[in-house]
Amino acid sequence: MVAILGVGTTRFTQKIERTIVSLGVEAARLALSDAGLAPTRIEGAFVANALGGMLFGDTTIGQTLLRDVGLRRLPIVNVENACTSGSSALWLAWNAVSAGQMEAALVLGVERMCVPSLGLINSGRTEIDTLLGLVTPASFALRAQRHMHEFGTTREQMAAVVEKSRRHGALNPNALFQRAETIADVLAGPSVADPLTRSECCPIADGASAIVIGSDRLARELGAGVRIDSVVLASGGYENPADLARWDTDTETAAAAYARAGIGPEDLDLVECHDAFSIAEILHCEALGLCAPGEGGPLAASGATSLGGRIPVNVSGGLISRGHPVAATGVAQIAEIAAHLRGTAGARQVEGAKVGLAQCMGGDLAGDTKSCTVAVLSR
Amino acid sequence: MSGNNLPPFAEGIFTGDGTLVELVGSRCPLCGAQHFPARTHCPDDMAETEAVSLGGSGTLYSATVIRTKPPFGLPAPYAVGYVDLDAHPLRIFMLLDPAHTEDFRIGMPLALKSGALGVGLNGEPCIRPYFTPTLKD
Ligand SMILES: [Zn+2]
Repeated sequence: MVAILGVGTTRFTQKIERTIVSLGVEAARLALSDAGLAPTRIEGAFVANALGGMLFGDTTIGQTLLRDVGLRRLPIVNVENACTSGSSALWLAWNAVSAGQMEAALVLGVERMCVPSLGLINSGRTEIDTLLGLVTPASFALRAQRHMHEFGTTREQMAAVVEKSRRHGALNPNALFQRAETIADVLAGPSVADPLTRSECCPIADGASAIVIGSDRLARELGAGVRIDSVVLASGGYENPADLARWDTDTETAAAAYARAGIGPEDLDLVECHDAFSIAEILHCEALGLCAPGEGGPLAASGATSLGGRIPVNVSGGLISRGHPVAATGVAQIAEIAAHLRGTAGARQVEGAKVGLAQCMGGDLAGDTKSCTVAVLSR
Repeated sequence: MSGNNLPPFAEGIFTGDGTLVELVGSRCPLCGAQHFPARTHCPDDMAETEAVSLGGSGTLYSATVIRTKPPFGLPAPYAVGYVDLDAHPLRIFMLLDPAHTEDFRIGMPLALKSGALGVGLNGEPCIRPYFTPTLKD
């Protein structure tokens, strides 16, 4: 069994002028100090960053920034896996600790992307689909159109995801957006790709998140009580024809994570999922089995996914309100779940939370995702 | 739109020009799987593929109008969609006719055209294929 020993997340923001190194160092220090572990006891580190190479020519930044927190002469791996960069780093670290290769590992996700040179996010500049005008919001707008067509999902139901997200974000001091927004406000905004308005698309942000994970023995020594029950990482299936209203890769990855953890969706107390767009949260709720296929719209509108509801989803504010510093997101989701299981989530605490799940997705290929991760945590 | 002397946005994607355009895919001689864009080898059994025409007609599976700043000099706004091809059981992503941006509905019959549309990777004007609503007889 592998435990979470400490977590630390910086403020997610678009305003700061800080380097990747300074953001990463802050998160690493927070997590190490939260764990109460000296840097010399960390035996390996997995550092996720998705865009530094493209935007700044910064590569192998893990070694650069961890030198500043006293992590030297140990295995450090830099990880890029699109939006799942951070959760893929966790997968690597979890495997290393599970296998007994290291007693304690640091997982860090850091991104700085709020710069003028950031263009439209796509899935590879030379891909044929990219050259034919496919941008990431369009991938999800096409899913939304199909979901509306097949299941009668409404724009109001999709906007309800954002309205709920803003209420949650207002309770998270680290979130980028902390102000309320009504369903009417969401729908009145400019369209990015029909039917998705600007508020239905997650904002970019700068930020970093880190966690320290370790063996059972170390967890007992430190009195840490949050376990990682499963972490599953999968690539897409890329079947043609792709079904844009049901996401097999998502469903199968979740099923594998449930099976390995020995639980089902009915056992969950909270979920963090990759709500890069309003429709994405609806699709993920269906894939995770929080409702029947096609019922994600009514679920969002029912209030069941709000704090205090049957199954709170993205009480952190999610990508839509916390902001989406690409490689930090997958780690911040784990830090969020861990905080609820430890009872330290403050105003947004899910009372009595015992089991939580984090789902993340990255990249786009042939109407499928390139990477999907699902992790189950418990206390 | 004319542009007979312009290069295609990419090689090996489509043949013909104007209103007589067909997509080019590949077919595996062993398992019969067809792919678009064409692949040199079948990903399932490594066999070398042969080129196959995927025709120029299909049915609209999903469509959206993109209203952010367009990439590659495409018009603002512009429409894209997934199209189920008539000739083969393939669902492909494609541009939709800029002259009909607001007109696309799921289930519409479509025909492939090509014309000067946007620029390529190096900023040079180029020809792109796009689906347009099939004219009623
Ligand atoms: Zn084959």
